[in-house]
Amino acid sequence: MSAFRGTGRAEGFDLAVALRRFVPISVLVLLLGASAIVAPGTLSFSALTGFVSDAAPLLILVIGSTMPILTGSIDLSVAGIASLTGVLVVQLAPIFGPWTCLVVLLIAIAFGALQGFAHAWLQIPSFITTLGTLSMLSGLSLLLSNATAQPLPDSDPFITLLSNTTFGIPNTGYAVIVVVALLALLMRYSRIGRDLFALGAGERTAVMSGVRTIRVRSFAFASSAGCAALAGLALVSVTEFSSPTLAGNLLLLSIVGVVLGGTAISGGVGGLWAGVIGGLITAWLRVATVLIGVAPTAQYIVFGIMALIAVGLTTDRGKIGVIK
Amino acid sequence: MKLVAKAGEVPGQPASRSLRFPARPGRWLQSIGPVAVLVVLALAFQLASHNFLSPGNLAAIAEAVAVPVILATGLSFVILLGAIDLSLEGVMATSSMTVALLAANNVNGHHWGIWAIVAALGVGVVFGAFNGVLNTYFRMPSLIVTLGSWFIGLGIASVLFPSQVPGIRDPIVLGLASTQFAGLSLIVFIAVAVLAIFHLVLNYTHLGRMIYAVGGGEATLVATGLRVPLFKLAAFMISGFLAALAGLLLSAQLGDGNADIGNGLLFPAVSACVLGGTLLSGGRGGAIQSAIGAVILEVLNNGLIQIGAGPYVRNIISGAVIVTVVAISGLHLRRKLRIVK
Amino acid sequence: MTNLLEVRSVGKTFGRVVALEPIDLSLRQGEVLGLVGQNGSGKSTLLKIMAGLVQPGQGEMLLRDKLVRLNSPAEATMHGIGMVHQEQSLVPNLTVAENIFLDKPNAAKRHGLYRWRRLFEAAERQLKKIEVDIDPRAIVEDLRFAERQQVELAKVLAIEDLVDHPPIILFDEPTSVLTQGEIVQLFRQIDRLRQTAAIVFVSHRLDEILSICDRAVVMTDGRKVAEHPTADIDRDSLYRLMVGRQRATHGPRVSVSGSPASTEKPRLEVENLSSANHVRGVGLSVAPGEILGMLGVQSSGAEELCRAIFGAEDEMTGVIRLNGRETDVASPASAVRQGIGYLPANRHLEGLLKGRTLVENMVLTSGLDYGHGGIVINRAAERKAATTWIERLKVKTRSSDARIDELSGGNQQKVVLGKWLMSRRLQLLLLDHPTRGLDPGARDDLFDAVRDEVAKGLAVIFVADTIGEVLDFSDRIVVMRDGAISAQYDLNRGDAPSEEDLVRAMV
Repeated sequence: MSAFRGTGRAEGFDLAVALRRFVPISVLVLLLGASAIVAPGTLSFSALTGFVSDAAPLLILVIGSTMPILTGSIDLSVAGIASLTGVLVVQLAPIFGPWTCLVVLLIAIAFGALQGFAHAWLQIPSFITTLGTLSMLSGLSLLLSNATAQPLPDSDPFITLLSNTTFGIPNTGYAVIVVVALLALLMRYSRIGRDLFALGAGERTAVMSGVRTIRVRSFAFASSAGCAALAGLALVSVTEFSSPTLAGNLLLLSIVGVVLGGTAISGGVGGLWAGVIGGLITAWLRVATVLIGVAPTAQYIVFGIMALIAVGLTTDRGKIGVIK
Repeated sequence: MKLVAKAGEVPGQPASRSLRFPARPGRWLQSIGPVAVLVVLALAFQLASHNFLSPGNLAAIAEAVAVPVILATGLSFVILLGAIDLSLEGVMATSSMTVALLAANNVNGHHWGIWAIVAALGVGVVFGAFNGVLNTYFRMPSLIVTLGSWFIGLGIASVLFPSQVPGIRDPIVLGLASTQFAGLSLIVFIAVAVLAIFHLVLNYTHLGRMIYAVGGGEATLVATGLRVPLFKLAAFMISGFLAALAGLLLSAQLGDGNADIGNGLLFPAVSACVLGGTLLSGGRGGAIQSAIGAVILEVLNNGLIQIGAGPYVRNIISGAVIVTVVAISGLHLRRKLRIVK
Repeated sequence: MTNLLEVRSVGKTFGRVVALEPIDLSLRQGEVLGLVGQNGSGKSTLLKIMAGLVQPGQGEMLLRDKLVRLNSPAEATMHGIGMVHQEQSLVPNLTVAENIFLDKPNAAKRHGLYRWRRLFEAAERQLKKIEVDIDPRAIVEDLRFAERQQVELAKVLAIEDLVDHPPIILFDEPTSVLTQGEIVQLFRQIDRLRQTAAIVFVSHRLDEILSICDRAVVMTDGRKVAEHPTADIDRDSLYRLMVGRQRATHGPRVSVSGSPASTEKPRLEVENLSSANHVRGVGLSVAPGEILGMLGVQSSGAEELCRAIFGAEDEMTGVIRLNGRETDVASPASAVRQGIGYLPANRHLEGLLKGRTLVENMVLTSGLDYGHGGIVINRAAERKAATTWIERLKVKTRSSDARIDELSGGNQQKVVLGKWLMSRRLQLLLLDHPTRGLDPGARDDLFDAVRDEVAKGLAVIFVADTIGEVLDFSDRIVVMRDGAISAQYDLNRGDAPSEEDLVRAMV
């Protein structure tokens, strides 16, 4: 009986692997093709540049969120960090002048690392740690901004850089490439990359092989917080206003993006590339739902259902005994 | 050897020991702790503002805490399983819209009266069943399932939202909030009744005790051949039902349907449970404990407003409370090879 | 007396490993049957089959001459068969009363409503039967371990109200975690039960078997090797039976390392090491180029000692010196950095990254040893090292990029071993039951590879599955019992123990 279960599971696993690997990219291509047929204008250069500046914050957010999820944890605080970033830029500009954005980014990274450390060292479940910090961060945003949208300081060099275009393409698009390249280098040429995957694939084995879990988790949460902050900067560079609830609806989208790309919510499967594809699908879906006439308000339903379907398809049920 | 000796109860009355349940030997500190916190907080705020314990302010706290108590009661069922229900705000939004559009209102011709209330509550049960089925039968983590249905609920509410804010005109629905007894609105009494009923469900029914048992040792129950999925499903449905009730009551209070009606109520509900001693790992705590947690949070909130802190401090406090309490209550469980995701 | 339960040629294989060869066994009303054997002798599997926890691969069971199939523990309960688990099966956050009736219908919880008072009274009656004074209202997790076992016993005994025949009670090594006083109490209860039930009692402590059981069945390597009334047999003959045919398997000893251990300073010295789990003030040392074999029954502390040296146990106290320098092995990560490796007994939980390739599994620990400056990974170099080891260890695989799940247990184990051997820092390797579930060929490959490294100066601690293994493969032998060292032998100095000596030191 156990032998039978073994092979059954192996085949199921193969299927899941295939699904994760090829379905996301096919979905993306199909989506692009379908949109091109429905509305030929969507693939024009100007429409695409518009898409890039619209999609960039989401993409960065998804890529960041992928990191903790690879280890089997989850970071629910990303939207809170992104929102607070804009508020902090306004609040801290008088103190740090041209360095404000950099300072804010560093604060976010330090906060993320601390959050990851607290989660791993105190052994508190990540979802509750980050749910708590999400609540704190959104309260802090409201408190600092007094719940009002504020104009950004117009002289900030980093925001100006992000809002400009180079060769006709918004600079936020380049920011995505820089983030991906940076993380890809780190993951390929340091042991952090394989340690991330090892935690997700089998944490006990990883621990017993000498992987320093606390350090790896701190890194995962630091990069997710850093990405969230960058996404927040990209967002305000478009809107030119900081609002304490700017990124509120991006929490679900970021997780939808991660799972649509084929990263398993249970960890260990997926990666940067999956994050990029998933982010693109999500961003394009947002465009496409508008295109086929779904009211913007109904997008929540679409994304909620998409998230459930994607998780349902990619959950490796053999791996977990008791599902909470 | 004699076990009863270490029990924290009165010795010398063996057979007819108090029938209060559950009897928790040696646990009085755990259950007294939150109450002590409550008393200390109340006294401290009274000293600081001199107005805190006035009948008017106490009534205001009772009114404000009614809905959080209902939410925390429902959420306790799911948390006792060791799962989580993040969909409260979405369910509240949909139930609010449902009742506003089906009861007599100013945007369409429906006037279902009491059936509008039933429909709104039904919406919650359906959401709960949806969450429960996906979690138990499709084996998807409750965290993701309820995150998805949170947003689906918000989406449905905004799709239902007509061209203008639907104002409720139905006297029955509005009466839920406007009826007063002894200076308190009906909502407060509903909250007390809900708390009492679901406390009894948890402690005096097979379902309730099995919900505890799932949180304490799911694998044992499965091996014993008990129908664990049904218990889990029921817990999610109760949570959905009470979230819908909360949405309904808030709509009655506001007098209209609102997709944002639940905004910011999830975190306080979670932290109320945690604060009262309902552990997120499941199996410990209960409805009463969670309700005490909700009261503590409200007292804290009210008190902070009394002494002049801003209105947004609430989120920060509930977030900090969640993390701190979970961290402290889990300190003794830390092990080198323990895996916490 | 008639047979209450009869087991007819019941057997079980897991994959290719035979856990239990077809066995016949009968259990009479009013008797206590003792089941003895070393770890892995199949006694646990047999017990689990009788309790409905494991489905037999072949054979049948007759309960009062009627054929029964037990598909789950719940069905076993309804047939009047209950098991007192070694790891208890109580729900910790429920009351004693609820736990006793968890798997049984009771009038006190009819129609989904609890009548607490009646439930408590019913539970009180059950507890009275075994004459223990435990409050049925108490929450199980508040009880002490021995008390929980009493509750477990009451829960199992309450089965007798469900059936019209005497209940069958299975005890799975109930004494291994009890104190002497608690054991005496348990035995009194078993004596009392003798009147009304049939009992199977599993233990590896022979004195207990002899004192409490009417009959003893000895198992070795998945087979029943003897069955005797306890009145006709003594301790020593039981020892001999337990050691069984393993005696024949190991040939003349070859000196493993040959390097005289005493001339160098020890690679590892442990002084007064204790941990939260079973290890109580142990001291030992291992020299470079030496294999220290360890023996001990389950929870004797041998396994736990290895894990403690690897930094994987909680609440460790004592001194650990590596190459004469005192070190603090705070975690497996720090152990790895200091050149300690650990081959886990539970390969699936702690050794393998499922779904990953052979190479990915191997480079996890020490890939950076082949990188640049200990920071940047050199994929080509580490890959080459990994594939070299895959070949050296004779891993049978279609490719070094195959997923590790595809491999057989033996080959998986070789990969896990390769993960440690490819480390350039490795100074001390801890092998925790390395041959579990391995066929003889894979076992020899594994030992050969380790011997090669030992010849180059690696120190090895080896917790063995069988006595034959440890005699074959060690320079010195340490036997552990109850968390402390009970005997030591230096084989290279002609201090060779007999198998009986070793078993006596173990149990």
